[in-house]
Amino acid sequence: MNAKITKILITVIVLAVLSGTAVQFYGHRHYQLPIIAGPGVTKVAMLSEYCESLEGTAADTHIFFLQGKEKGGKTLLIANTHSNEPAAILTALIFLENATLDKGTLIIIPQFNNSGSRNTKPGDGYPLYFDISTAWGSKKFRMGNRNASPLDQWPDPDVYVHYPDKQLLSFLDVRNTNRTWPGRPDGPLMERVTYAAMQIMREEKVDIAIDIHGAETMFPVTNCIVAPQKSIEIATIASMYVNAMEGFENHVEPSPGGFRGLSHREIGDHSDTMPFLLEAPIPFLDQPTGPKTVDLLLNGKDDFLLRLSEQKKLFVPYDETGWPMEKRVGQHCSVILEIMNQFSLANPDKEIQITNVPKYAEVLENGVGYYYRDPAKVDKNRIYKN
Amino acid sequence: MKRFIGSIIMLLSAAVIPFTGTAQEAVPVTEIPVLTTSAGQSADVNTLNVILDQAKVKYDYCDVPTTEMISNGVGLSGAKSGKGFHVKVKTDLEKFPSGTPYKTIIFAIGASLKGMGASGLTVEDEINRISSIIEHCKSNGIFIVAVHAGGESKRGAAGSHNERMIDAVAPFADYIIVVNDSNKDGRFTKIANNKNIPLSEVKYALNIVGIVKKMFKE
Repeated sequence: MNAKITKILITVIVLAVLSGTAVQFYGHRHYQLPIIAGPGVTKVAMLSEYCESLEGTAADTHIFFLQGKEKGGKTLLIANTHSNEPAAILTALIFLENATLDKGTLIIIPQFNNSGSRNTKPGDGYPLYFDISTAWGSKKFRMGNRNASPLDQWPDPDVYVHYPDKQLLSFLDVRNTNRTWPGRPDGPLMERVTYAAMQIMREEKVDIAIDIHGAETMFPVTNCIVAPQKSIEIATIASMYVNAMEGFENHVEPSPGGFRGLSHREIGDHSDTMPFLLEAPIPFLDQPTGPKTVDLLLNGKDDFLLRLSEQKKLFVPYDETGWPMEKRVGQHCSVILEIMNQFSLANPDKEIQITNVPKYAEVLENGVGYYYRDPAKVDKNRIYKN
Repeated sequence: MKRFIGSIIMLLSAAVIPFTGTAQEAVPVTEIPVLTTSAGQSADVNTLNVILDQAKVKYDYCDVPTTEMISNGVGLSGAKSGKGFHVKVKTDLEKFPSGTPYKTIIFAIGASLKGMGASGLTVEDEINRISSIIEHCKSNGIFIVAVHAGGESKRGAAGSHNERMIDAVAPFADYIIVVNDSNKDGRFTKIANNKNIPLSEVKYALNIVGIVKKMFKE
């Protein structure tokens, strides 16, 4: 009798726990972020318009076009390739909600791996959401994962054979949109995502593609611009200028020719577009930290990393101030603007003139949320749920 | 017009940003044709090339030149870029036709195992290659400039790859240029003092543009 009651009790407890987490995961997967098309947005499209097989899938996502008054160069800004590196989407939304262009075109994909943004990493105790404070309240974001959700792309192979180079990559990389470039229209879902982006670059004749990321402080390729040979001069001069004029270091790392599937390698090899990949330090992703809290995500303060810094184990300067989100987003804003500026100086016939985007010092002073509009006060037709 | 103003602002910026160096000696004047190259195969050689571009100094570049290529002068024997081997010929060939002997060589110091690996070099290979180039320059009167613009990330513990690259070039240079962050421990100052080599130390890599302009003034 006692054994029977015990079994029932255990079953009820397990079901209660499962139901509780299921409700949380369901809510996270279906939470829609309101994205406000700012005054510079002239057209909104879906990624599936560049690869039909994405239509109706969880990988489809919005694309925003900001066309200038005059023709000029074209830039593609890709954010949330890895949805657990949120400085990317925060930067993209600053451009999307504020930028206006006098010359040239800016194309923004704020949630490139849409499926990944609806995935989480429960084993690492990731928070499901984080909030950014604004003057009108707070803006709530999904905290996603590095890879697409297995609910959307499954099963994984034993080994991911990269297309078209046949390089053998980790099985997980088949769901990683920074390993599936240049993609194909009939491949696994994430290959179709990168293929669609390649089609944007080919059809729209994009000059510059900037893929925004974050990287651990213990990883050598952090706080940098990764660029292949065709982009390295512009990356180098942009790096020198932000260092001298805005006071932060952002060195250049060459894109390795033998490591396939990455945006900074394949975009340049498979199109006329010049790729750049931006990395800002994100202490949250380092392994030896305390709990993976929202506070760590936003402020980047951690006692374990501080001790490692004292032992010179980190690849970036690190002190009690951590690496706050404002610093990371501000760096991204300035580096993106400087890359476009240097491209324009080198290619006067393809000039890009962009205004109303804050630089590093302004974002540090005002905070990230200062640049987000109140959804309650904008035309509902300018709000896109993604 | 906006482009013109932009260019002027850029050049003024490079000139106005304070040098704030701790060791500002007179900049020695040298001559073109000039070859840029790497000591350690890090990406800092791209920084060096951009600095020369900004200073409007025409140059030839090869990341792994042989002494034979250098002795063949401007044009680097017509060599073409390939896997792990990069060449640029930007020298004004009307003023300095192919084969004109180089007067100056500038090394960008900074070790990258990835870069050396891409060129099929071990650390020992790279040091031997650099030593033979320096020997060639010394015996042919080619002015050697050592640039360390990578800051702390291109420094390391004694005996590390970065420090070995510094040892391979800096003590044999005719002029050393560094950024503050590269010389926090005074290593370059010590080399310069011991070997009586002029040293310029600047805050930012962009400041080197002004030095290069002075170095090659006609």
